[in-house]
Amino acid sequence: MSTEVEIKSFIVRNFAPDVPPDQLEPDLNLLDSGVVDSLGLLRLIAWVGERFDIAVEEADISPDNFRSVDAIAAFVADARRNSEVAR
Amino acid sequence: MPSEAFLRTFSERVSSEPGAPALVQGDVLLTYGELAELAAAARAVVTGLGLPDGAAVCVPAAKSPAVIALVIGCLQAGRRVFLPSPDLGAEVLAELCERIGCAYLLEPGRPPRPTGAGPGPEWTGPGLLLATSGSTGLPKTVVLSESGVDGFLAWAADRFDIGPGTTVLNHAPLNFDLCLLDIWTTLHAGGRVVLVEQDKAANGTYLRDVCTRHPVDVVQAVPMFYRLLADANDAAGAAAFTGVKHVIFTGDAMPLNLLGRVPGLFPAARLWNVYGCTETNDTFLHEVDVAEAVARGALPIGRPIDGVTARIVDRSGAVVPHAGSGELEVDSPFRAHGYLDPELTARKWRDGFYRTGDLVTRDEHGLVFLAGRDDFHVKVRGVRTNLQEVEQVIQQHEDVAEAVVLAVPDEVAGHRLRAVVRRRPGSSLDSIRLRVHCAARLPKTAVPTAVEFVDRELPRTSTGKVDRRALNTTGERNRVVD
Repeated sequence: MSTEVEIKSFIVRNFAPDVPPDQLEPDLNLLDSGVVDSLGLLRLIAWVGERFDIAVEEADISPDNFRSVDAIAAFVADARRNSEVAR
Repeated sequence: MPSEAFLRTFSERVSSEPGAPALVQGDVLLTYGELAELAAAARAVVTGLGLPDGAAVCVPAAKSPAVIALVIGCLQAGRRVFLPSPDLGAEVLAELCERIGCAYLLEPGRPPRPTGAGPGPEWTGPGLLLATSGSTGLPKTVVLSESGVDGFLAWAADRFDIGPGTTVLNHAPLNFDLCLLDIWTTLHAGGRVVLVEQDKAANGTYLRDVCTRHPVDVVQAVPMFYRLLADANDAAGAAAFTGVKHVIFTGDAMPLNLLGRVPGLFPAARLWNVYGCTETNDTFLHEVDVAEAVARGALPIGRPIDGVTARIVDRSGAVVPHAGSGELEVDSPFRAHGYLDPELTARKWRDGFYRTGDLVTRDEHGLVFLAGRDDFHVKVRGVRTNLQEVEQVIQQHEDVAEAVVLAVPDEVAGHRLRAVVRRRPGSSLDSIRLRVHCAARLPKTAVPTAVEFVDRELPRTSTGKVDRRALNTTGERNRVVD
Protein backbone atom coordinates (compact mmCIF):
# COMPACT_ATOMS: atom_id res chain seq x y z
CA MET A 1 0.00 0.00 0.00
CA SER A 2 1.38 3.41 -0.89
CA THR A 3 1.77 5.98 1.87
CA GLU A 4 -1.05 8.03 0.41
CA VAL A 5 -3.47 5.10 0.30
CA GLU A 6 -2.58 4.17 3.84
CA ILE A 7 -3.19 7.72 5.08
CA LYS A 8 -6.53 7.85 3.25
CA SER A 9 -7.59 4.54 4.76
CA PHE A 10 -6.78 5.70 8.27
CA ILE A 11 -8.66 8.96 7.83
CA VAL A 12 -11.85 7.49 6.42
CA ARG A 13 -11.82 4.62 8.90
CA ASN A 14 -11.61 7.04 11.81
CA PHE A 15 -13.42 10.14 10.62
CA ALA A 16 -15.69 9.24 7.70
CA PRO A 17 -16.36 5.50 7.65
CA ASP A 18 -19.05 5.82 4.95
CA VAL A 19 -16.56 7.10 2.38
CA PRO A 20 -14.42 4.71 0.29
CA PRO A 21 -10.72 5.66 0.66
CA ASP A 22 -10.27 6.37 -3.04
CA GLN A 23 -13.01 8.97 -2.91
CA LEU A 24 -11.18 11.11 -0.37
CA GLU A 25 -9.73 14.02 -2.34
CA PRO A 26 -6.01 14.27 -1.50
CA ASP A 27 -6.11 18.07 -1.39
CA LEU A 28 -9.29 18.38 0.72
CA ASN A 29 -8.53 20.57 3.73
CA LEU A 30 -9.37 18.14 6.52
CA LEU A 31 -9.27 20.77 9.25
CA ASP A 32 -11.23 23.58 7.55
CA SER A 33 -13.90 21.11 6.41
CA GLY A 34 -14.42 19.85 9.95
CA VAL A 35 -13.65 16.24 8.94
CA VAL A 36 -10.86 16.19 11.54
CA ASP A 37 -11.43 18.28 14.67
CA SER A 38 -8.79 19.50 17.10
CA LEU A 39 -8.94 16.33 19.18
CA GLY A 40 -8.99 14.17 16.05
CA LEU A 41 -5.87 15.98 14.88
CA LEU A 42 -4.00 14.73 17.94
CA ARG A 43 -4.98 11.13 17.10
CA LEU A 44 -3.92 11.64 13.52
CA ILE A 45 -0.52 13.04 14.53
CA ALA A 46 0.04 10.19 17.00
CA TRP A 47 -0.85 7.59 14.34
CA VAL A 48 1.49 9.11 11.74
CA GLY A 49 4.31 9.11 14.28
CA GLU A 50 3.76 5.51 15.21
CA ARG A 51 2.97 4.07 11.78
CA PHE A 52 5.82 5.78 9.92
CA ASP A 53 8.22 5.73 12.83
CA ILE A 54 8.68 9.48 12.97
CA ALA A 55 9.56 11.21 16.23
CA VAL A 56 6.65 13.60 16.37
CA GLU A 57 7.66 16.12 19.02
CA GLU A 58 4.11 17.31 19.32
CA ALA A 59 4.88 20.88 20.27
CA ASP A 60 7.02 21.42 17.15
CA ILE A 61 4.51 20.15 14.62
CA SER A 62 2.40 22.61 12.75
CA PRO A 63 -1.19 21.56 12.11
CA ASP A 64 -0.51 22.80 8.60
CA ASN A 65 1.53 19.61 8.02
CA PHE A 66 -1.69 17.66 8.57
CA ARG A 67 -4.19 19.77 6.70
CA SER A 68 -4.67 17.30 3.83
CA VAL A 69 -3.68 13.83 2.63
CA ASP A 70 -1.14 15.45 0.30
CA ALA A 71 0.36 17.48 3.13
CA ILE A 72 0.67 14.45 5.41
CA ALA A 73 2.28 12.37 2.63
CA ALA A 74 4.77 15.20 2.00
CA PHE A 75 5.49 15.44 5.72
CA VAL A 76 6.17 11.69 5.91
CA ALA A 77 8.40 11.77 2.82
CA ASP A 78 10.36 14.72 4.27
CA ALA A 79 10.82 13.01 7.60
CA ARG A 80 12.13 9.85 5.87
CA ARG A 81 14.57 11.84 3.78
CA ASN A 82 15.85 13.63 6.87
CA SER A 83 16.33 10.42 8.78
CA GLU A 84 18.32 8.93 5.84
CA VAL A 85 20.55 12.00 5.77
CA ALA A 86 21.05 11.64 9.49
CA ARG A 87 22.27 8.09 9.04
CA MET B 1 -10.69 47.05 23.77
CA PRO B 2 -14.08 47.50 24.76
CA SER B 3 -14.69 51.01 26.06
CA GLU B 4 -13.51 54.63 26.31
CA ALA B 5 -12.35 53.95 29.87
CA PHE B 6 -10.27 51.01 28.66
CA LEU B 7 -8.63 53.15 25.97
CA ARG B 8 -7.83 55.91 28.48
CA THR B 9 -6.25 53.52 30.96
CA PHE B 10 -4.37 51.84 28.15
CA SER B 11 -2.80 55.13 26.96
CA GLU B 12 -1.87 56.06 30.50
CA ARG B 13 -0.14 52.74 30.88
CA VAL B 14 1.67 53.22 27.58
CA SER B 15 2.97 56.62 28.76
CA SER B 16 4.00 55.53 32.24
CA GLU B 17 5.39 52.03 31.58
CA PRO B 18 6.04 51.63 27.84
CA GLY B 19 8.55 48.84 28.45
CA ALA B 20 6.21 46.67 30.53
CA PRO B 21 5.27 43.37 28.84
CA ALA B 22 1.72 43.24 27.46
CA LEU B 23 1.34 40.20 25.20
CA VAL B 24 3.30 37.00 24.73
CA GLN B 25 2.66 34.37 22.06
CA GLY B 26 5.33 31.82 21.13
CA ASP B 27 8.53 33.79 20.63
CA VAL B 28 6.72 37.09 20.16
CA LEU B 29 6.65 39.52 23.08
CA LEU B 30 5.01 42.92 22.79
CA THR B 31 5.49 45.65 25.37
CA TYR B 32 2.75 48.17 26.04
CA GLY B 33 4.77 50.67 23.94
CA GLU B 34 5.04 48.27 21.00
CA LEU B 35 1.38 47.30 21.25
CA ALA B 36 0.45 50.99 21.17
CA GLU B 37 2.61 51.57 18.08
CA LEU B 38 0.94 48.72 16.21
CA ALA B 39 -2.47 49.99 17.32
CA ALA B 40 -1.64 53.52 16.12
CA ALA B 41 -0.70 52.19 12.68
CA ALA B 42 -3.97 50.24 12.52
CA ARG B 43 -5.90 53.31 13.65
CA ALA B 44 -4.38 55.32 10.78
CA VAL B 45 -5.48 52.67 8.27
CA VAL B 46 -9.04 52.62 9.66
CA THR B 47 -9.28 56.40 9.73
CA GLY B 48 -7.99 56.48 6.15
CA LEU B 49 -10.98 54.41 4.99
CA GLY B 50 -13.16 57.51 5.37
CA LEU B 51 -16.10 55.51 6.70
CA PRO B 52 -19.28 57.36 7.62
CA ASP B 53 -19.77 58.20 11.29
CA GLY B 54 -21.11 55.28 13.27
CA ALA B 55 -20.12 52.56 10.77
CA ALA B 56 -18.77 49.30 12.22
CA VAL B 57 -15.78 47.27 10.96
CA CYS B 58 -15.18 43.53 10.99
CA VAL B 59 -11.98 41.99 12.41
CA PRO B 60 -11.91 38.16 12.18
CA ALA B 61 -10.67 36.97 15.57
CA ALA B 62 -7.62 34.94 14.52
CA LYS B 63 -5.84 35.28 17.85
CA SER B 64 -2.43 37.00 17.70
CA PRO B 65 -0.79 40.09 19.20
CA ALA B 66 -1.20 41.80 15.81
CA VAL B 67 -4.95 41.19 15.74
CA ILE B 68 -5.34 42.48 19.30
CA ALA B 69 -3.42 45.62 18.29
CA LEU B 70 -5.72 45.96 15.28
CA VAL B 71 -8.81 45.75 17.47
CA ILE B 72 -7.40 48.42 19.80
CA GLY B 73 -6.59 50.64 16.78
CA CYS B 74 -10.16 50.31 15.44
CA LEU B 75 -11.57 51.21 18.86
CA GLN B 76 -9.22 54.20 19.11
CA ALA B 77 -10.62 55.28 15.75
CA GLY B 78 -14.03 55.30 17.48
CA ARG B 79 -15.32 52.23 15.64
CA ARG B 80 -17.62 49.45 16.74
CA VAL B 81 -15.73 46.20 16.05
CA PHE B 82 -17.47 42.99 15.02
CA LEU B 83 -15.18 40.17 16.19
CA PRO B 84 -16.39 36.91 14.61
CA SER B 85 -14.74 33.51 14.81
CA PRO B 86 -12.11 33.20 12.07
CA ASP B 87 -13.68 29.80 11.24
CA LEU B 88 -17.07 31.24 10.40
CA GLY B 89 -18.19 30.18 6.93
CA ALA B 90 -17.98 32.81 4.18
CA GLU B 91 -21.74 32.95 3.56
CA VAL B 92 -22.59 33.47 7.22
CA LEU B 93 -19.86 36.06 7.62
CA ALA B 94 -21.17 38.03 4.63
CA GLU B 95 -24.71 37.94 6.00
CA LEU B 96 -23.64 39.14 9.46
CA CYS B 97 -21.47 41.93 7.98
CA GLU B 98 -24.50 43.05 5.97
CA ARG B 99 -26.73 43.19 9.04
CA ILE B 100 -24.15 44.99 11.18
CA GLY B 101 -23.08 47.28 8.36
CA CYS B 102 -19.40 46.29 8.17
CA ALA B 103 -18.24 47.58 4.79
CA TYR B 104 -14.68 46.44 5.47
CA LEU B 105 -13.00 43.37 6.84
CA LEU B 106 -9.61 44.08 8.44
CA GLU B 107 -6.69 41.71 8.93
CA PRO B 108 -3.13 42.51 10.05
CA GLY B 109 -0.65 43.02 7.22
CA ARG B 110 -3.31 43.07 4.52
CA PRO B 111 -5.16 45.90 2.85
CA PRO B 112 -8.74 46.36 4.10
CA ARG B 113 -11.11 44.09 2.17
CA PRO B 114 -14.49 45.48 1.06
CA THR B 115 -17.30 43.12 2.04
CA GLY B 116 -19.96 44.56 -0.23
CA ALA B 117 -22.19 45.25 2.79
CA GLY B 118 -24.43 48.31 2.65
CA PRO B 119 -24.87 50.78 5.49
CA GLY B 120 -26.11 49.30 8.77
CA PRO B 121 -27.24 50.80 12.07
CA GLU B 122 -25.45 53.97 13.20
CA TRP B 123 -23.33 52.89 16.16
CA THR B 124 -22.28 55.35 18.85
CA GLY B 125 -18.77 55.12 20.27
CA PRO B 126 -16.26 52.29 20.30
CA GLY B 127 -17.21 48.83 21.50
CA LEU B 128 -17.42 45.18 20.63
CA LEU B 129 -19.94 42.99 18.85
CA LEU B 130 -19.69 39.25 19.48
CA ALA B 131 -21.54 36.36 17.82
CA THR B 132 -23.13 33.46 19.66
CA SER B 133 -24.98 30.40 18.42
CA GLY B 134 -28.61 30.76 17.42
CA SER B 135 -31.40 28.40 16.43
CA THR B 136 -32.05 29.73 12.93
CA GLY B 137 -28.81 28.71 11.25
CA LEU B 138 -27.44 32.23 11.74
CA PRO B 139 -25.42 33.26 14.81
CA LYS B 140 -26.90 35.96 17.04
CA THR B 141 -24.97 39.22 17.28
CA VAL B 142 -24.49 40.36 20.89
CA VAL B 143 -23.96 44.09 21.41
CA LEU B 144 -21.70 44.63 24.44
CA SER B 145 -22.42 47.66 26.58
CA GLU B 146 -19.83 50.16 27.74
CA SER B 147 -21.00 50.22 31.37
CA GLY B 148 -21.29 46.43 31.46
CA VAL B 149 -17.75 45.98 30.20
CA ASP B 150 -16.29 48.68 32.49
CA GLY B 151 -18.02 47.16 35.51
CA PHE B 152 -16.75 43.70 34.62
CA LEU B 153 -13.13 44.80 34.05
CA ALA B 154 -13.04 46.43 37.50
CA TRP B 155 -14.68 43.46 39.22
CA ALA B 156 -12.48 40.83 37.57
CA ALA B 157 -9.20 42.66 38.27
CA ASP B 158 -10.14 43.01 41.93
CA ARG B 159 -11.48 39.48 42.41
CA PHE B 160 -8.54 37.69 40.79
CA ASP B 161 -5.76 40.09 41.86
CA ILE B 162 -4.89 41.17 38.32
CA GLY B 163 -2.61 44.23 38.18
CA PRO B 164 0.79 45.39 36.92
CA GLY B 165 3.18 42.45 37.08
CA THR B 166 0.41 39.82 36.95
CA THR B 167 0.56 37.19 34.20
CA VAL B 168 -2.71 35.69 32.96
CA LEU B 169 -3.08 32.71 30.63
CA ASN B 170 -5.55 33.08 27.78
CA HIS B 171 -6.81 29.76 26.39
CA ALA B 172 -10.16 30.78 24.86
CA PRO B 173 -10.49 31.92 21.25
CA LEU B 174 -10.38 35.71 20.82
CA ASN B 175 -14.04 35.89 19.77
CA PHE B 176 -15.20 34.45 23.13
CA ASP B 177 -16.55 36.65 25.92
CA LEU B 178 -14.09 34.80 28.22
CA CYS B 179 -11.41 37.08 26.76
CA LEU B 180 -13.01 39.99 28.58
CA LEU B 181 -11.35 38.50 31.63
CA ASP B 182 -8.09 37.00 30.50
CA ILE B 183 -7.12 39.44 27.75
CA TRP B 184 -9.00 42.70 28.22
CA THR B 185 -9.09 42.87 32.02
CA THR B 186 -5.38 42.06 32.10
CA LEU B 187 -4.46 44.77 29.57
CA HIS B 188 -6.75 47.20 31.41
CA ALA B 189 -4.99 46.40 34.68
CA GLY B 190 -1.48 46.66 33.22
CA GLY B 191 -0.63 42.95 33.39
CA ARG B 192 0.80 40.50 30.88
CA VAL B 193 -1.27 38.03 28.82
CA VAL B 194 0.16 34.75 27.59
CA LEU B 195 -1.81 33.82 24.47
CA VAL B 196 -2.30 30.15 23.64
CA GLU B 197 -2.00 29.64 19.87
CA GLN B 198 -5.48 28.68 18.79
CA ASP B 199 -4.58 25.82 16.48
CA LYS B 200 -2.67 24.13 19.32
CA ALA B 201 -5.27 24.76 22.03
CA ALA B 202 -6.15 21.03 22.23
CA ASN B 203 -2.53 19.88 22.41
CA GLY B 204 -1.70 19.04 26.02
CA THR B 205 2.07 18.87 25.48
CA TYR B 206 2.03 22.33 23.96
CA LEU B 207 -0.15 23.72 26.77
CA ARG B 208 2.22 22.31 29.37
CA ASP B 209 5.19 23.89 27.55
CA VAL B 210 3.46 27.27 27.49
CA CYS B 211 2.68 27.16 31.22
CA THR B 212 6.24 26.05 31.98
CA ARG B 213 7.95 28.68 29.81
CA HIS B 214 5.81 31.56 31.03
CA PRO B 215 4.90 31.15 34.69
CA VAL B 216 1.34 32.43 35.05
CA ASP B 217 -0.54 33.74 38.07
CA VAL B 218 -4.10 33.31 36.79
CA VAL B 219 -5.61 30.60 34.59
CA GLN B 220 -9.14 30.65 33.22
CA ALA B 221 -10.22 27.82 30.94
CA VAL B 222 -12.87 25.26 30.06
CA PRO B 223 -12.66 21.80 31.71
CA MET B 224 -11.09 20.30 28.56
CA PHE B 225 -7.98 22.45 29.14
CA TYR B 226 -7.45 21.04 32.64
CA ARG B 227 -7.84 17.47 31.43
CA LEU B 228 -5.33 17.95 28.60
CA LEU B 229 -2.87 19.64 30.95
CA ALA B 230 -3.27 17.03 33.70
CA ASP B 231 -2.78 14.18 31.20
CA ALA B 232 0.28 15.81 29.65
CA ASN B 233 1.79 16.53 33.06
CA ASP B 234 1.19 12.96 34.25
CA ALA B 235 2.66 11.52 31.04
CA ALA B 236 5.79 13.64 31.44
CA GLY B 237 6.01 13.08 35.20
CA ALA B 238 6.31 16.86 35.36
CA ALA B 239 6.21 19.11 38.41
CA ALA B 240 3.12 21.03 39.52
CA PHE B 241 2.54 24.67 38.63
CA THR B 242 3.19 26.06 42.08
CA GLY B 243 3.14 29.74 41.14
CA VAL B 244 -0.50 29.86 39.99
CA LYS B 245 -2.65 31.85 42.42
CA HIS B 246 -6.12 31.67 40.85
CA VAL B 247 -7.59 28.87 38.74
CA ILE B 248 -10.97 29.50 37.15
CA PHE B 249 -13.23 26.80 35.69
CA THR B 250 -15.73 28.09 33.19
CA GLY B 251 -17.72 27.27 30.09
CA ASP B 252 -18.95 23.81 31.06
CA ALA B 253 -19.64 21.58 34.05
CA MET B 254 -16.38 20.49 35.68
CA PRO B 255 -16.40 16.66 36.07
CA LEU B 256 -15.62 15.65 39.66
CA ASN B 257 -12.98 13.07 38.69
CA LEU B 258 -11.12 15.82 36.87
CA LEU B 259 -11.65 18.30 39.70
CA GLY B 260 -9.86 15.89 42.03
CA ARG B 261 -6.70 16.17 39.89
CA VAL B 262 -6.59 19.98 39.91
CA PRO B 263 -5.00 20.57 43.35
CA GLY B 264 -2.11 18.33 42.25
CA LEU B 265 -1.57 20.59 39.22
CA PHE B 266 -1.97 23.91 41.04
CA PRO B 267 -1.24 23.22 44.73
CA ALA B 268 -1.11 26.89 45.80
CA ALA B 269 -4.08 28.21 43.86
CA ARG B 270 -7.53 29.29 44.96
CA LEU B 271 -10.02 27.48 42.74
CA TRP B 272 -13.13 29.15 41.33
CA ASN B 273 -16.13 27.93 39.41
CA VAL B 274 -17.58 30.70 37.28
CA TYR B 275 -20.88 30.72 35.44
CA GLY B 276 -21.89 33.15 32.72
CA CYS B 277 -22.69 33.61 29.06
CA THR B 278 -21.96 36.14 26.33
CA GLU B 279 -25.26 37.96 26.91
CA THR B 280 -24.74 38.63 30.63
CA ASN B 281 -21.03 37.96 31.20
CA ASP B 282 -20.16 36.22 34.48
CA THR B 283 -23.02 36.13 36.96
CA PHE B 284 -22.27 33.33 39.45
CA LEU B 285 -19.10 32.57 41.35
CA HIS B 286 -18.14 29.79 43.70
CA GLU B 287 -14.87 29.25 45.50
CA VAL B 288 -14.25 25.54 45.18
CA ASP B 289 -13.47 23.27 48.08
CA VAL B 290 -12.50 20.06 46.29
CA ALA B 291 -13.09 17.71 49.22
CA GLU B 292 -16.49 19.27 49.89
CA ALA B 293 -17.53 19.02 46.22
CA VAL B 294 -16.47 15.38 46.05
CA ALA B 295 -18.31 14.58 49.29
CA ARG B 296 -21.41 16.33 48.00
CA GLY B 297 -21.12 14.68 44.60
CA ALA B 298 -21.66 17.96 42.75
CA LEU B 299 -19.90 21.25 42.13
CA PRO B 300 -22.21 24.28 42.55
CA ILE B 301 -22.05 27.42 40.43
CA GLY B 302 -22.47 29.07 43.80
CA ARG B 303 -24.10 32.42 44.44
CA PRO B 304 -24.70 35.54 42.37
CA ILE B 305 -21.73 37.90 42.02
CA ASP B 306 -22.19 41.20 43.93
CA GLY B 307 -24.66 43.37 42.06
CA VAL B 308 -26.20 40.44 40.16
CA THR B 309 -29.82 39.50 40.85
CA ALA B 310 -30.86 35.97 40.04
CA ARG B 311 -34.22 34.26 40.16
CA ILE B 312 -35.43 30.78 39.47
CA VAL B 313 -38.62 30.42 37.49
CA ASP B 314 -40.62 27.21 37.46
CA ARG B 315 -42.53 25.73 34.53
CA SER B 316 -45.64 27.75 35.29
CA GLY B 317 -43.62 30.98 35.14
CA ALA B 318 -43.74 31.55 38.91
CA VAL B 319 -40.64 32.69 40.75
CA VAL B 320 -39.30 30.03 43.14
CA PRO B 321 -38.75 31.93 46.42
CA HIS B 322 -36.27 29.74 48.32
CA ALA B 323 -34.93 26.26 47.65
CA GLY B 324 -36.20 24.64 44.47
CA SER B 325 -35.66 24.06 40.76
CA GLY B 326 -36.40 25.86 37.53
CA GLU B 327 -34.90 27.99 34.78
CA LEU B 328 -32.26 30.47 35.87
CA GLU B 329 -32.87 34.14 34.99
CA VAL B 330 -30.26 36.80 35.76
CA ASP B 331 -30.01 40.56 35.83
CA SER B 332 -26.40 41.69 35.86
CA PRO B 333 -24.52 45.01 35.87
CA PHE B 334 -22.13 43.36 33.41
CA ARG B 335 -24.82 42.53 30.86
CA ALA B 336 -24.74 43.31 27.15
CA HIS B 337 -27.21 45.77 25.63
CA GLY B 338 -28.87 42.85 23.92
CA TYR B 339 -28.89 41.35 20.45
CA LEU B 340 -28.69 43.28 17.22
CA ASP B 341 -32.22 42.02 16.54
CA PRO B 342 -34.60 43.83 18.96
CA GLU B 343 -37.29 41.14 18.62
CA LEU B 344 -34.85 38.51 19.79
CA THR B 345 -33.79 40.75 22.67
CA ALA B 346 -37.42 41.12 23.72
CA ARG B 347 -37.84 37.33 23.68
CA LYS B 348 -34.75 36.52 25.74
CA TRP B 349 -34.93 39.34 28.31
CA ARG B 350 -37.93 39.63 30.60
CA ASP B 351 -38.08 42.88 32.62
CA GLY B 352 -34.33 43.14 32.76
CA PHE B 353 -33.76 39.46 33.46
CA TYR B 354 -31.99 37.31 30.87
CA ARG B 355 -33.48 33.86 30.44
CA THR B 356 -30.43 31.60 30.44
CA GLY B 357 -32.10 28.39 29.29
CA ASP B 358 -30.17 26.63 32.08
CA LEU B 359 -32.10 24.51 34.55
CA VAL B 360 -30.82 24.91 38.09
CA THR B 361 -31.52 23.79 41.64
CA ARG B 362 -31.04 26.01 44.69
CA ASP B 363 -30.45 24.29 48.02
CA GLU B 364 -31.55 25.48 51.46
CA HIS B 365 -28.22 27.35 51.91
CA GLY B 366 -28.77 29.38 48.73
CA LEU B 367 -26.16 27.49 46.71
CA VAL B 368 -27.12 27.03 43.07
CA PHE B 369 -26.34 23.90 41.04
CA LEU B 370 -26.69 23.40 37.29
CA ALA B 371 -29.24 20.66 36.61
CA GLY B 372 -28.98 20.61 32.82
CA ARG B 373 -30.04 22.64 29.86
CA ASP B 374 -33.07 22.64 27.69
CA ASP B 375 -32.90 19.89 25.08
CA PHE B 376 -31.16 21.82 22.37
CA HIS B 377 -28.13 23.44 23.96
CA VAL B 378 -24.90 21.60 24.68
CA LYS B 379 -21.26 22.49 25.13
CA VAL B 380 -18.82 21.14 22.58
CA ARG B 381 -15.20 21.73 23.61
CA GLY B 382 -16.54 24.50 25.85
CA VAL B 383 -18.52 26.22 23.11
CA ARG B 384 -22.26 26.63 23.52
CA THR B 385 -23.83 24.90 20.57
CA ASN B 386 -27.45 24.88 19.53
CA LEU B 387 -28.44 21.52 18.04
CA GLN B 388 -31.35 23.07 16.16
CA GLU B 389 -29.02 25.47 14.42
CA VAL B 390 -26.90 22.57 13.16
CA GLU B 391 -30.03 20.70 12.07
CA GLN B 392 -31.24 23.76 10.15
CA VAL B 393 -27.96 24.01 8.27
CA ILE B 394 -27.92 20.29 7.40
CA GLN B 395 -31.50 20.50 6.18
CA GLN B 396 -30.54 23.32 3.84
CA HIS B 397 -28.50 20.80 1.83
CA GLU B 398 -30.48 19.86 -1.27
CA ASP B 399 -29.80 16.14 -0.87
CA VAL B 400 -31.15 15.96 2.68
CA ALA B 401 -34.71 14.80 3.32
CA GLU B 402 -34.58 15.07 7.11
CA ALA B 403 -31.96 15.27 9.79
CA VAL B 404 -31.53 15.28 13.53
CA VAL B 405 -28.43 16.20 15.51
CA LEU B 406 -27.76 14.51 18.84
CA ALA B 407 -25.22 15.30 21.51
CA VAL B 408 -23.18 12.35 22.75
CA PRO B 409 -21.39 12.85 26.09
CA ASP B 410 -17.63 12.73 25.69
CA GLU B 411 -15.02 12.67 28.41
CA VAL B 412 -12.65 15.16 26.80
CA ALA B 413 -14.86 17.33 24.59
CA GLY B 414 -17.86 17.51 26.95
CA HIS B 415 -20.12 16.51 24.05
CA ARG B 416 -19.67 15.35 20.48
CA LEU B 417 -22.30 15.91 17.81
CA ARG B 418 -23.81 12.98 15.95
CA ALA B 419 -26.00 13.72 12.96
CA VAL B 420 -28.56 11.20 11.75
CA VAL B 421 -29.54 12.01 8.19
CA ARG B 422 -32.00 10.59 5.68
CA ARG B 423 -30.96 11.44 2.14
CA ARG B 424 -33.26 12.09 -0.77
CA PRO B 425 -33.68 9.03 -3.01
CA GLY B 426 -30.78 8.56 -5.39
CA SER B 427 -28.51 10.95 -3.52
CA SER B 428 -24.88 9.98 -3.06
CA LEU B 429 -24.23 12.58 -0.38
CA ASP B 430 -21.48 11.38 1.95
CA SER B 431 -20.29 12.44 5.39
CA ILE B 432 -17.36 14.42 4.05
CA ARG B 433 -19.42 16.49 1.64
CA LEU B 434 -22.02 17.11 4.32
CA ARG B 435 -19.35 18.32 6.73
CA VAL B 436 -17.85 20.61 4.07
CA HIS B 437 -21.37 22.06 3.69
CA CYS B 438 -21.64 22.55 7.48
CA ALA B 439 -18.14 23.98 7.83
CA ALA B 440 -19.00 26.73 5.32
CA ARG B 441 -21.94 27.82 7.48
CA LEU B 442 -21.12 26.98 11.11
CA PRO B 443 -18.30 27.31 13.63
CA LYS B 444 -16.02 24.26 13.60
CA THR B 445 -17.28 23.04 16.96
CA ALA B 446 -20.77 22.75 15.43
CA VAL B 447 -19.68 20.44 12.60
CA PRO B 448 -20.83 16.91 13.54
CA THR B 449 -18.04 14.51 14.47
CA ALA B 450 -20.10 11.55 13.25
CA VAL B 451 -22.67 11.39 10.47
CA GLU B 452 -24.97 8.42 10.06
CA PHE B 453 -27.14 7.92 7.01
CA VAL B 454 -30.41 6.07 7.39
CA ASP B 455 -32.85 4.93 4.73
CA ARG B 456 -36.00 4.90 6.83
CA GLU B 457 -37.93 7.86 8.10
CA LEU B 458 -36.74 9.16 11.44
CA PRO B 459 -38.84 7.99 14.41
CA ARG B 460 -41.43 10.52 15.56
CA THR B 461 -43.16 11.14 18.86
CA SER B 462 -46.94 11.28 19.10
CA THR B 463 -46.75 15.05 18.58
CA GLY B 464 -44.87 14.59 15.31
CA LYS B 465 -41.49 15.73 16.53
CA VAL B 466 -38.39 13.67 15.83
CA ASP B 467 -38.00 11.25 18.73
CA ARG B 468 -34.54 12.21 19.91
CA ARG B 469 -34.68 9.85 22.85
CA ALA B 470 -35.37 6.81 20.65
CA LEU B 471 -32.49 7.79 18.38
CA ASN B 472 -30.21 8.36 21.33
CA THR B 473 -30.73 4.87 22.63
CA THR B 474 -30.84 2.92 19.38
CA GLY B 475 -28.58 5.04 17.21
CA GLU B 476 -25.35 3.33 18.04
CA ARG B 477 -26.80 -0.07 17.11
CA ASN B 478 -28.31 1.14 13.88
CA ARG B 479 -25.11 2.52 12.48
CA VAL B 480 -25.32 2.45 8.73
CA VAL B 481 -21.90 3.81 8.15
CA ASP B 482 -19.33 1.00 8.36
